[in-house]
Amino acid sequence: MSELLSIKNVSLFYDHIHALRDVSLHLDKGETIALIGANGAGKSSILRAITGLQEIRAGTIYYNGERLDGRQPDAIVRAGISMAPEGRHVFPYMSVKDNLLMGAFTRKDKTEIAEDMHKVLEKFPRLRERFHQSASTLSGGEQQMMVIGRALMSRPKVLLLDEPSLGIAPKLVQSIARSIVAINRDDHVSVILVEQNSRMAMRISHRTYALITGEIVISGNSAELQNDDRIRKLYLGGDTA
Amino acid sequence: MEQIVVNGLYLGAQYALIALGLTLIFALMNVLNFAHGQMYVLGGYMTYLVYGKLGMPFALGLAVSALTLLAVGAVVEKFLFRPVLRKSARDESSMLLAAGLAFFFDSIILLLFGQKQHGVPKIIEGVQNWGDFTVVIPNDKIVVGVCTVLMIAAFIIFMQYTKPGRAMRALAQDRTAAQLMGVSADRYGMLGFALGAMLAGLAGGLLVATTGVSSGIGGSISIKAFLMVMIGGAGVVPGAIAGGFILGMMESFGLSYLRAYGDITYLVIFASLMVFLSIRPHGLMGKPWG
Ligand SMILES: Nc1ncnc2c1ncn2[C@@H]1O[C@H](COP(=O)(O)OP(=O)(O)OP(=O)(O)O)[C@@H](O)[C@H]1O
Ligand SMILES: [Mg+2]
Repeated sequence: MSELLSIKNVSLFYDHIHALRDVSLHLDKGETIALIGANGAGKSSILRAITGLQEIRAGTIYYNGERLDGRQPDAIVRAGISMAPEGRHVFPYMSVKDNLLMGAFTRKDKTEIAEDMHKVLEKFPRLRERFHQSASTLSGGEQQMMVIGRALMSRPKVLLLDEPSLGIAPKLVQSIARSIVAINRDDHVSVILVEQNSRMAMRISHRTYALITGEIVISGNSAELQNDDRIRKLYLGGDTA
Repeated sequence: MEQIVVNGLYLGAQYALIALGLTLIFALMNVLNFAHGQMYVLGGYMTYLVYGKLGMPFALGLAVSALTLLAVGAVVEKFLFRPVLRKSARDESSMLLAAGLAFFFDSIILLLFGQKQHGVPKIIEGVQNWGDFTVVIPNDKIVVGVCTVLMIAAFIIFMQYTKPGRAMRALAQDRTAAQLMGVSADRYGMLGFALGAMLAGLAGGLLVATTGVSSGIGGSISIKAFLMVMIGGAGVVPGAIAGGFILGMMESFGLSYLRAYGDITYLVIFASLMVFLSIRPHGLMGKPWG
């Protein structure tokens, strides 16, 4: 497999708060990797660094052999990286349809955009029922599906998902997990999945990185790590799902 | 009575155009543009120069006003507001910058055009009257009123149905999400600021046709613009339009009915606004860009 995205020795600060310390990780083509860790461990910060929403202080980020860090977020989307952010950043006063179309903002190919819209609605049929409703009136789970669908509308090569299971009923979590697997396997999108639901994340990913206070402390094959004592103790203790 | 309503509508349309620009800038950048009234006056002088002084067509004057303010807005955003917003997370920083800009424009305008009121030849002669002179409107006010409404309509259509319009609405509703869709916050922030300034300039250009322009009115126009935006709800298009017409009506009615009691129209308007805002602090439609 070939390396699609690689982060090397990245440090990130919010003012004086040191959120990432010398973080290195990579994502291969066709892979799903999971980032797990407690609140404030720095998972979202890694995604914000990749998408250019937050500047990094040290280190490098390469994508497809090209330097990514220092570029503006819109350039990074155009390069093929798309993110469904934490906390469901929907456009509240746009319809579901317009939210999804915003996802295709960087594209011009009208017929293919329509095809992709069709595919997204097939993946998340609930969105079809809510198509003309304004996004602020959707339930949390529906908003989450819409945000994932919207991220797919740019036809990304890399999809970054920040806690898609947050605040969602267990049954819906399973369905979202299945969608993520399908996006990776059938649509050939490489995925970085940030999750607090470590069990789910490790089940559907190839490899896992575990973070503690801004540092990657454990990494490896997800199937093997599920039985790793340290991981069990740190993350799988009280988890259900 | 009918005459008062017609005057109110005429005034309201112009006010709405001013308020739209201010609310656009606020929605996109979270900047309170205290220099909005000065931008309006600057637009007025551009039309005065082209149409009044050089004797070229009024429409060309408006175009020059629009383009000048478009450029001023773009430059001010890129070289002043953008760096300040990037370096400082505090709202006061951009507010102080805007206030400084207002004083700066005031001085420039005074220096270039002096204190004298400048009028221009009528764009069109004659008056219309209805119902045996119950309602009388000069033709030039009709032309200006129709132009204003057309500009408001054009702006709304632009925001609603074009790609840059969508980009700006997205930025106003959720800046992070918009950036993640590939909307350049820099580019569309600049465009929005430029368009907001342009609307002020166009309103100023239209004003010259019927009332002329003088250098000192920028500050009070800014305050009126803030009033309208607060009545309607900051950052909302229908709110700005509603606020514009409400203020226009209040002013028109106030000037006719309260005149007998002295110059208290604005005192009454301010007092009622304070009461209104204490009941509805977010204005009539206090939600972000829709
Ligand atoms: N905008 C910000 N300003 C200041 N500090 C921040 C900001 N965003 C995050 N931090 C801090 O950086 C650290 C890492 O935050 P981050 O959001 O990456 O954590 P996370 O692993 O995603 O946590 P969670 O699971 O709660 O989402 C935390 O200590 C957090 O308080
Ligand atoms: Mg997070």
